[in-house]
Formats: sequence, C-alpha cells, structure tokens
Amino acid sequence: MSSVLLVGAGATGARAARQLVDTQRVTRIVVADREPARAAALADALGAAADTTPLDQPFPEGIDAVASAVPARAGALVAQRAIDVGVPVAAVADDRDGVAALLALDGAAREAGVLVAAGCGLVPGLGDVLARHAADALDRPDEAHVARVGAAGPACIAALRRARHEPALEWADDAWHVPDRRGHQLVWFPDPVGARECEIVAPGVELLREAVPELERASVRVGEVPVRRSAVALVRRKPLDDGWAGARVEVWGWRDGGRDAVVYGVIERPAVAAGTVLAVTAAALAGALADVEWRTPHPKGAQGLGAVVDPTTFLAELARRGVKAAVFEGFAVA
Amino acid sequence: MRTFRRGLLVGLLAVLVGVVVRVRAKGRIVPRTSGGWRELEGPDFR
Repeated sequence: MSSVLLVGAGATGARAARQLVDTQRVTRIVVADREPARAAALADALGAAADTTPLDQPFPEGIDAVASAVPARAGALVAQRAIDVGVPVAAVADDRDGVAALLALDGAAREAGVLVAAGCGLVPGLGDVLARHAADALDRPDEAHVARVGAAGPACIAALRRARHEPALEWADDAWHVPDRRGHQLVWFPDPVGARECEIVAPGVELLREAVPELERASVRVGEVPVRRSAVALVRRKPLDDGWAGARVEVWGWRDGGRDAVVYGVIERPAVAAGTVLAVTAAALAGALADVEWRTPHPKGAQGLGAVVDPTTFLAELARRGVKAAVFEGFAVA
Repeated sequence: MRTFRRGLLVGLLAVLVGVVVRVRAKGRIVPRTSGGWRELEGPDFR
C-alpha cells in the first residue's frame, strides 16, 4: 500500500491524480497546489483516498513518492524538498531551464539514495522511452529524431512558445550544435493529427541523448503553439487547436547488416498523455506497480525517464491505461 | 515636402499591397509512403 504526494493540480496534475486513484496499490493521494482551493476541489473529486496539504508546509509523513506537475524551476524546488526527506520524485519538465534545474540535483539525489525522474510527460518523457524501445530493436542505433505537437495547459503552452523563440540545440558528430532555423519540417503523425510543420528546438534533446547514449545525431522538434481562441485563429490565419497531442519518434541505425529505421508514434489528449506518464512513474517509484521495471536495480540520482525505466514494461503499463503507441510499418516511395 | 509626400504615399501603397498580397503556402505536401500505423501489442512489449 503506497502514498503519493501530487504537487500541482492543473491540467496534467488532475489527469495524473485520476490515474493514481485508479492504481490499486496507491491507497492515499495528498494534493498540494499554490492555490489551496484548486487542490481542495481536486481532492474532493478524487474521493476518500485523497486529501490536501499546504504547499508551504513540510511534506506529510508516510509519503512514498512525489509526483510533481508544476512547471520549470518550481519542479526543482519540489524535488529538492523531496530529496531532503529521502523520497523519490517524478517530475514533468518541458523547458530547458526546468530540465537543467532537475538534473542539477543529481549529486544530492545520489547522496540521499533517491531517484529524481526528470521529464515525465509526453516529450520529454514518453518520447524518450519510445526512443529507447526503438533503439533496443536495432543492432546499432545512431540517429534519433523526436517531434511533438500539442500542449496540455497554459504553463505547457508558455513553455512551448519559449522553446520556439530560444536558440535550438542538436547533437551531431559527438558535439552539441546550435542549428540555424531553416524553416519548418513536415512531420507525419498518426491520425487524426496527420502532417504538421515542426521546428527544431532545444528542450528535451539532452534527455533524448541520455536515454540513448549511442546516438551520433539527435534532435527534437515541436509543432506550432496551439491556438485556442477563435479570434486569434482568425487574425493569425491559424487553425484552431483540435485538442490532440502527438509524438513521433524516428530512430535510425543498423540491423542485420543494413540501414534501417524504427518509427513510433502516439496520439492522445495532451493532459491525459502527460498525466498518465507522470502517474505511472510516480506509482512505480512508490512501489505500487510491480510490473514496471527499471533498467538498473534501485536507480538513484537525477536522470531522464528514458534512461532509467525499462521501456517494454513501462509501455505495456501505459497501453493497459489506454495510452497506446503505434509503430509505422512501411517505407517512403518518393 | 512634395518628395516626402510621394515617399509616404509609395510606402503606404507598399504596405497595403503587402497586406493584400500576403503570400502564404496553402495546403500541405504529403510525402508518398506505403504502409501505415499499427498499435503496439503484446509481442512488442517482450
């Protein structure tokens, strides 16, 4: 029987909470948010298994894992507090500063003997796990390209907007490069998303390389910032957000002596995808999901999700919860 | 003054023409591929 502290009751946090409630061996969920009323509303909706705690108070006794669904640097502060009391953390992070702040806790987490799983959303997060899964299917993977469209809540949209304005980053020839933005690239996602123009960005590429250290080339691309107001869509001549998020993972390498590629895709509502990944990771850290395995026994330190979790058991658990990845079977003919 | 007015008029016309003739790509170039997406199932998780 496990207890999980959920920090953040926004779009992703609410979906993660629902997934945690549906996890048989998670018997207690404590919700904290900077807006106490929002935390209370979420706890009420979850039922008897949930209660709340003020965010500025010490963590409650008996917590087995922390699920952090707050943006950027706030997530690192939550993680630091968890490390101080020796509790593992699963944290969403979709901007470069947030990921860096979480990874900077590596020394403290190792000293405390706990794991800080950084980037437990769609991308970074599920995209890295899929990249690891694809890499395992090849004899010698050497190139990976991840793309994402969609955003969960306002904080996620803000992070996406920042990512598209900041300098991009890619891994090529064993070094980091700041690529010129030469325009968009058309990326093909599973239906109903289809083809979307995506731009190369920095957030997530470091965690992608951490998940697949064999890579010689790695990049992350994101689609346009979703437009959710019809007036803005009219003025800017952009399509209204259809409410879907997608990730596409393309890993190239060598298999049976020939050049080959493995392409995975996943389509889901953005908050559902990120919330489910966060909840499964936190539940596994709390010891409530025996089926989800780690790549090494008792992982510790601050690491990306794709580097620490066993992709097959993790993806199987996500599939059981309705977040199903797909593989592209085919080839380009022109 | 006359040159300034002409310049202003030309600039204004250029802006108007730019707004009217705003060239944007329409539609998408669909890559020609053969195949499709298949959901990952039991054997894929072993």
